Amino acid sequence: MWQAIKSVLAAFLGVQKDARRREDFASNRPGTFIAAGLLVGLVFVLLVAFVAVLAAR
Amino acid sequence: MRTLLAWIAGGLTSVVLTPVALADGWNMPVGVTAISRDIYSLHMIIFWICVVIGVIVFGAMFYSLFRYRHSRGAKAATFHEHTSVEVIWTAIPLLILVGMAVPATATLKNMYDTSEADLDIMVTGQQWRWRYEYLGEDVAFTSNLGTPREQINGTGEKGEYYLLEVDEPLVLPVGQKVRLLLTSDDVIHSWWVPDLAVKQDAIPGFVNENWVRIEEPGIYRGQCTELCGKDHAFMPVVVEAVKPERFDEWLAERKEAAAQEASSADREWAMDELMERGQQVYGSLCASCHQEDGQGIGNFPALAGNEAMLDDVDWHIDRVVNGVSGTAMASFRNTLSAVEIAAVVTYERNAWGNESGDSVQPSEIAERLADQGE
Repeated sequence: MWQAIKSVLAAFLGVQKDARRREDFASNRPGTFIAAGLLVGLVFVLLVAFVAVLAAR
Repeated sequence: MRTLLAWIAGGLTSVVLTPVALADGWNMPVGVTAISRDIYSLHMIIFWICVVIGVIVFGAMFYSLFRYRHSRGAKAATFHEHTSVEVIWTAIPLLILVGMAVPATATLKNMYDTSEADLDIMVTGQQWRWRYEYLGEDVAFTSNLGTPREQINGTGEKGEYYLLEVDEPLVLPVGQKVRLLLTSDDVIHSWWVPDLAVKQDAIPGFVNENWVRIEEPGIYRGQCTELCGKDHAFMPVVVEAVKPERFDEWLAERKEAAAQEASSADREWAMDELMERGQQVYGSLCASCHQEDGQGIGNFPALAGNEAMLDDVDWHIDRVVNGVSGTAMASFRNTLSAVEIAAVVTYERNAWGNESGDSVQPSEIAERLADQGE
């Protein structure tokens, strides 16, 4: 899972090592990556909302 | 190489240090409010950030093109990736963007804070003029283009403020927070005064808010900046900022004049008086469509020799008071006083060869407006 989260974070930034990418694609459990994507996406949205609430105070 | 670098650095320094005043007329104005200064400095900071990025990126590119050119035997590198360099060139723009967004958001937040205003003004766009209402003060008027028709038609010399002058400017006190409530009676207009850093759409059925606190007395000019039809270019905005004492005097004078106007509706008006006043009203509100000579133009019907209008005075008054839905003919119920409606109807019935001889009394109109208002 931690591996998947790291890959999702790299995808958010848009930079990934080729070796790591090969490793990820060797895995046959896409569900882990989808879950990690949704989780990190949710955290990002909450983070933006938190900053907006702070700024609006 | 070293002299080239020195030359570039020297050139850059002189460009950066050249007074901004030199850019007068090209750059946006600094303006006369705290917000306008904030916007100006944001604009300049972001501009210089862009310049620095441009110089670095294009400098690196041109240097590489020149230094590693084919004729000097350069060979292309074939490596695939370099994660740390990629992270750096992704993170730096991210930081720059966040760095620009923080002060920009702070300014936006300030612009939207219309609370605790000292004065509220309703600004209504109409084809093709602005109406200003000092809320709670019983003072309201329309501000029409002040440029004479001859200048527009090209038969007169154009003045200094050609198409940027009005018959009655919006008068505001300096140092006070003035809230502007913008809306429209017909189509979308936009109220724009660069020196005040206000550019806000006036939309029918919406009330948009903005605010200004002008710091220096003066006259600030702007224009409608949303294409709103035939005379879009002929509805400028002029704001006259005056000291608060002067503003109070002006407001008292306007209130007095409004009270006099209302009471003068009760007395009998002579034909000459009505015609004179009517011509004035016609010139500022009606002539842009129906034309100075009453002949109309395009979709705008002629009033000279208009049988339907001359046959029925009630029909005529109804059109002026209520407008004609589905056409550009606006309702003047809230724009004109009873005296002005009576005068303009009388004028239209007796000008340009119309010889109805009718004189419509302001008291009749006042009664009619009161009946319809119920």
